[in-house]
Amino acid sequence: MSTAAAPPAEAGRRRLDFVLLVAFAWAIVAVSELIGFRTVPIGSITISILPLVWAVILGMVFGIPAWRKGILKRIYSPANVHFSGKYLILIMLPLMARYGADVAPKLGEILSIGWVFLLQELGNLGTVLLGLPVALALGLKRAAIGSTLGLGREGELAYISEKYGLQSDEGRGVLSIYLIGTLFGAIFFSAFAPVLLAFGFDVRALAMASGMGSASMMTAASSTLVATVPDQADTIRSFAAASQLLSSFLGTYTMVFLAVPLQRAMYNAWQRLTTRRGQGATR
Amino acid sequence: MSEQTLPLPASEEDGRAFGGTLRRDLLVSAAVLLLSVAGILFTQQLKMWFGARVTPITAMTFAGLASLWLFSMAGVAIGHAMKRFPVKAIAEFPVLGWVSLTSLVACLAVPGFVEAIAAVDFLSITTPVLAFAGISVADRLVDLSKTSWRVAITAVFVFVGTYVGSALLAQFGLSVTG
Repeated sequence: MSTAAAPPAEAGRRRLDFVLLVAFAWAIVAVSELIGFRTVPIGSITISILPLVWAVILGMVFGIPAWRKGILKRIYSPANVHFSGKYLILIMLPLMARYGADVAPKLGEILSIGWVFLLQELGNLGTVLLGLPVALALGLKRAAIGSTLGLGREGELAYISEKYGLQSDEGRGVLSIYLIGTLFGAIFFSAFAPVLLAFGFDVRALAMASGMGSASMMTAASSTLVATVPDQADTIRSFAAASQLLSSFLGTYTMVFLAVPLQRAMYNAWQRLTTRRGQGATR
Repeated sequence: MSEQTLPLPASEEDGRAFGGTLRRDLLVSAAVLLLSVAGILFTQQLKMWFGARVTPITAMTFAGLASLWLFSMAGVAIGHAMKRFPVKAIAEFPVLGWVSLTSLVACLAVPGFVEAIAAVDFLSITTPVLAFAGISVADRLVDLSKTSWRVAITAVFVFVGTYVGSALLAQFGLSVTG
């Protein structure tokens, strides 16, 4: 693709498409803010829905390919969708800068319980401990390896693609989890985080757990916690952001040195178990 | 390149999403970041119009937005410079992390930054980001049909596993600390 070589009419069209994209994104923001913050009681648990959840849903729903006619086709042009994906990281940066400012006043408190932050990083092994048995029981085989190694973010993707290639079953597994996380991760965690509050978890523990390695999932989880416990807003945001930073540093090491061996051991144990049972049973 | 069933999208944590020369990266960043902080201001104004509980826009808000823009630019530059660092964990540290660290250090050194940035309403930062996130994944909805329901169910347990796992350990740690 050579953007520089595009004829003037094409370039002008793209520029207009881009203006439409920004206007549309801001319109989504306006609608999301108009709907505003909503709480939905489900039994004894109340789920809070923030405008950021409306925004991600609206952005996705209008882009359903079958509906892309007329102006929506211009807004969701290949160049525009490409721009949103490529520069999302840049659009996010002010949010990350804000997290730095949230951590600063609380740094002393965070460092004083630094070992708790380190300890809860090991909780990321929960993807293997809980996910792998479920995946294997559902009949996934090698794909279970890719889909349960972690949240399926860049670290896992790089590891699996290097080791097995993305064409393999493992590769398809990690790509699927990546896709599901990208599409639904933020929505899922914004609903799930306050549910755990109702189970009696300390909101600080949930804030730390929110730093999982994906910035949008962390933001969704921690913002919903803030909406539920507004008095602790500063603590929640700073703990979540500090844990997120730690995950960025340590995530790869936890994966390579702990998640991978644990997963291999569990997978092999399952293999032995099923082959033994398979030999005994008649099909 | 061979075909992939699920091609990789450029995404939030993908530090390689823009890997040109420093000059070009900074120019593109400056423009996109300006768009981003403008979106924040717009959202904060919307919240005021719609009567949501919100930090009011003052002169401090503009100083806060300028600080956010500045730290983001600095983070981009540092991330670029660190790509040649011999330690892998640092060379591959995401630009998102560099920005948070830059901002953290600046805010520790000059408490005035904290005050300015606090004048920017937090949730007003999140809505425009997630709107773009939603648009950016639109093309991938089709790929969902290629994903097996088994992996979809697994995904729920993977998400629950990491969150509950970390929450349990943190809860344990906090109860020990008191």
